[in-house]
Amino acid sequence: MIKITVKCFSQVRYALGIDILNLEFESGTSTSQLEKFIRGKANGKLDGISLRIALNQKYVPDETELQDGDEVAFIPPVQGG
Amino acid sequence: MILTPKQLHDRKGEFTVVDVRSEKQINEFPMDGLKTINSNGGSISDMKGSKVLVCQFGIVTEGMIIENELDDTFSLLGGAQAWIEFQSKKEDLSRWSRQTILPEVGMDGQKKLLNATVAIVGMGGLGCPAAQSLITAGVGKLILIDGDIVELSNLHRQPLYGADDLNRLKVEVAKERLEQLNNKAVIVPIDKYLNEENGMSFIQDANVIIDATDNIQARQLIDKFSKEANIPMVYGGLFRYEGQVAVLNVNGSPGYCELFPEPPSGGDTCADAGVLGMLPGIIGNIQAFEAVKFIVGITPNLVGKLLVYDGMSHITQTIEL
Repeated sequence: MIKITVKCFSQVRYALGIDILNLEFESGTSTSQLEKFIRGKANGKLDGISLRIALNQKYVPDETELQDGDEVAFIPPVQGG
Repeated sequence: MILTPKQLHDRKGEFTVVDVRSEKQINEFPMDGLKTINSNGGSISDMKGSKVLVCQFGIVTEGMIIENELDDTFSLLGGAQAWIEFQSKKEDLSRWSRQTILPEVGMDGQKKLLNATVAIVGMGGLGCPAAQSLITAGVGKLILIDGDIVELSNLHRQPLYGADDLNRLKVEVAKERLEQLNNKAVIVPIDKYLNEENGMSFIQDANVIIDATDNIQARQLIDKFSKEANIPMVYGGLFRYEGQVAVLNVNGSPGYCELFPEPPSGGDTCADAGVLGMLPGIIGNIQAFEAVKFIVGITPNLVGKLLVYDGMSHITQTIEL
């Protein structure tokens, strides 16, 4: 098992109602699997919203394998100005 | 009390000018066109008549006057540095002495700002504070692009406009207010929305583009012109209590379409999601800050990075793109 911290920004924070999630997954879990999990937890509130994934404060491709202790942030575009 | 280089130039017969700098500094940065006496560490309070004290940057002498409660004594704003600059061009740059004293800015940086042009797309919540800060920092020319008029719901977060300005074009009101802040700057108001046809002609003379829009399509369009014209774009966006800033398209660095690849979707406008007026003030000022840093050449900066600011916790996070 690996321990992952998920930092929630913008719509993700409002959809999940929380700033930070501490989660455990099977080894070999990828960022896209984590995204599916997060979208599932949001009960449709993130449908139609694109998310970029940052792993340890760096943008990564969707299929990056997560490691124990990783910090993941899902960042949606914000359009207000 | 403070005197600017121009005031000293115009009234120099009225004062004894006392140079408090070290001999080394006096020799290295001589104040041509001015008869000075060297204080040589002597007591200035014993000197009779009106005096102007000069140090290198104008900070030491301001402190001396306050500490020693010196009467009838002025500090030269910006010090010898500002005088030398004034003498070379008869242009008074002492107005910016509090920023030119920063080693990273200096007179050379100030001249870059005075010669710079910044295009601001969107004169709403982000554009107003960005424009205010850029004009007060001494940016020589602002191109303001927005076809909108002032509405009552704008006033809580767009401080360039007041209740008397309702239904007037934002760019026209903004020009009036910004000229009050610095009447030497050139303000070009463009009362149109940026689109595929007109965009390039609006931004092509700028050194930096501030993306202060409120929708993703406009941001994509600015990104396109930014890439085509090789003019960096400072992106800013808001959602409720959170803001984002990134400096994009600097010599091939990631742009908006790399930051949020197509098809980007999601995120409400301020009208839908709500916003406290302070947040666009903070984010617009960070955009202006980054634009100034880019123009002057100050690093580190937000090139290739996304800054996320949370107004609830006041925590910022920087993500490498």
